[in-house]
Amino acid sequence: MSLEGTPEPAIRRPRLPWLVGFLARRGLWALITLLVYLAVVFVFIQVWVPFNYATPARLGGPEAYQAALEALGLDRPLSARLFEFVAGLITFELGNSFTGPPVRTIVADTAPVTIFIFAVGALLAFVIGEALGRFGAWHRHWMTGASLSTLGVLFTTIFPPFLVFLIAYFLRDPFWELRETLGLPPDSLEVWRDAPVEQNEVLLLMSLALIGAVIGGVLVRTWAHRNRMRWVAAWALPVTVLAAVAGVGLAGFGVEAIDLLYRSDISQTVATGSPLLVLVGVVLITFGQVMFMMRVGVEDQRNEDYVLTARAKGLTEAVVRDRHVARNALAPAIAGSFLALPTLIAGMVIIEFGLEVRGLSWAFFTAVETQDIPLIMGVLVMLGVIGIGLRVVADLVIAYLDPRQRRS
Amino acid sequence: MAVATVLGRRGGWARLLSSAKLLFGLALVMFFIVVIVAHPLFQATIWERQFTVYDPFIGYDTQVVHPAGPSGEHWLGTDSLGRDVVSMFTYSARYSVVVALAAGLAIGVVSLLFGSIAAYRRGWIDSIVTHLSDAMVFLPALLAVYIIGVGQDTGEFGALAVGITFGVLYGLGPATATVRVAALGVMAMPFIDAARLAGAGMTRTVTRHLLPHLVPHAAVQSMIGVAGAVTAEAFLAFRSGVGANIGFGYLVFEGLTWGELFAGVLDTPWWVMITGSAGITLLAGAFYLIGVGLREIFDPHELVV
Repeated sequence: MSLEGTPEPAIRRPRLPWLVGFLARRGLWALITLLVYLAVVFVFIQVWVPFNYATPARLGGPEAYQAALEALGLDRPLSARLFEFVAGLITFELGNSFTGPPVRTIVADTAPVTIFIFAVGALLAFVIGEALGRFGAWHRHWMTGASLSTLGVLFTTIFPPFLVFLIAYFLRDPFWELRETLGLPPDSLEVWRDAPVEQNEVLLLMSLALIGAVIGGVLVRTWAHRNRMRWVAAWALPVTVLAAVAGVGLAGFGVEAIDLLYRSDISQTVATGSPLLVLVGVVLITFGQVMFMMRVGVEDQRNEDYVLTARAKGLTEAVVRDRHVARNALAPAIAGSFLALPTLIAGMVIIEFGLEVRGLSWAFFTAVETQDIPLIMGVLVMLGVIGIGLRVVADLVIAYLDPRQRRS
Repeated sequence: MAVATVLGRRGGWARLLSSAKLLFGLALVMFFIVVIVAHPLFQATIWERQFTVYDPFIGYDTQVVHPAGPSGEHWLGTDSLGRDVVSMFTYSARYSVVVALAAGLAIGVVSLLFGSIAAYRRGWIDSIVTHLSDAMVFLPALLAVYIIGVGQDTGEFGALAVGITFGVLYGLGPATATVRVAALGVMAMPFIDAARLAGAGMTRTVTRHLLPHLVPHAAVQSMIGVAGAVTAEAFLAFRSGVGANIGFGYLVFEGLTWGELFAGVLDTPWWVMITGSAGITLLAGAFYLIGVGLREIFDPHELVV
């Protein structure tokens, strides 16, 4: 830089793409948050929960209990045990379940269904809630707003076991009739007998394909908008999602993928729960919170000057709403929607268990009701890892959409 | 600021009362207070000398086959053990309301405490609070309450304990995150600098100048959190299923279990199940509506995380 004040544009400091710094920052955030989360879970289970590994020994009197505590190393200070727990996690060592098998195996076997439901459910709930929030805030007729609000509150505060009952009572039979119409054999084992892949591999492929398609679609749409390619922008998202669905079909897993929407455990001949119905439940209990967030945002933006300008330019109401107002309301709505995660996780676990899906929640409920502490911790750790992972992915998408979010 | 700007403006209170969501939520809470009062009143008047029929725990009507659908004698029918559902419903409401009050208070106290101290002190305290609340979002309070409570008698882990446990866990998570962001906004205001220049210490600055502006934000979070606490208590009662306690969740459990037991033979006693679920959803929904209504009234800019 010359001191004379004449700018020298040739000497520009080479800058890394924003993505590198962003990923490094979010990666560090995720790591710290994960460590804090692990510490919280550990302290919660070891200190707050009124039972421990040695509780069964209470039956033998106080001496037996003390002996059991010492034998299990539970009389050591909390910090030493926490360190051991985290050190074990680095090597994916979660201990053994009281029922015998390592917790790692149980969690790895049951997690894919839950990852699928969590990721796709959160995505769908956000998309639906966002659209309804935008619509409900824009249409000034009080009936629209009131009926959407009523629906949103009813589903947000519905008692999850009751929702499970409603889904099982009204949706299960039509859903299984659809399977017959599609021509799938009623017994899943027939579908999977000659399949070259594992059930969990297909589930993970489905989750990744769908998430990738939606994220890719949004990215292509934004890119096309910036380059003024209207048609590409309009069709980007539907095309990528359809391509993902067709891709799973063309890869030769089409039938298996559909079968997995019906049955979470193919080794069971009785009808175990269907992940798709759980997905419906998860979306129903979560969309309301996103909707209310979005409505506050749109209500807040609708009286800004740029709205008047856009209308004066002669833009249609739909364009003003979707291209101008919604985009400004979106970033805060996404940030606020993260606060709905506890409801989403808790509701997902309850509904998944209620509809008899063999996912993480099945492991969780079995563990809690037999006081199987290693398994409880394993499930909570896995839920945290999934949640934090999704959060980082969502942050990345937000940063791409909104350059203001890339720094800080 | 939020209180001052909204309520200080001309017609501010009218705006508070013009929110349909807020009014509807308040009306529903009033309804539950009436329900709680109604139980002892009914027992003293129309159910007098009929304790054996209308007692919420041991009542049994020998005149009908149980579970019986709604009738003039039993407005909401009876459950499979012959107890009057109106009596059970009005009696259970008190548990849920105690849980709601305890949780609401705990969320408010925890989020105001941590949010204001983090924003005032900044530095490492702030970063600890931020990471803690980020992490707590992934540990749902409902599941935590369930882990603690499922093996315990309701005598040991009663409504008050459920409410406070839920409130502390939820308060440390989403509530603290929101209140902290609002507090950062207030701390940037000139009047905080003025207070400091005038010689106000931490206690005075926080209690006199910071906290009053955070109360609406904490109230929003506490109302929305309470909706979750009501569900959590009901879920605990639902999964425990046995014990001396009866609650809305227990009613759902009763109806569902009976329906599954006699699936294909008898219909699910929907009046038991729906009464329980309606109690949960109406009470939780009441608080949720109040929370959302407050959020729409107070400046939305500040409430966004």
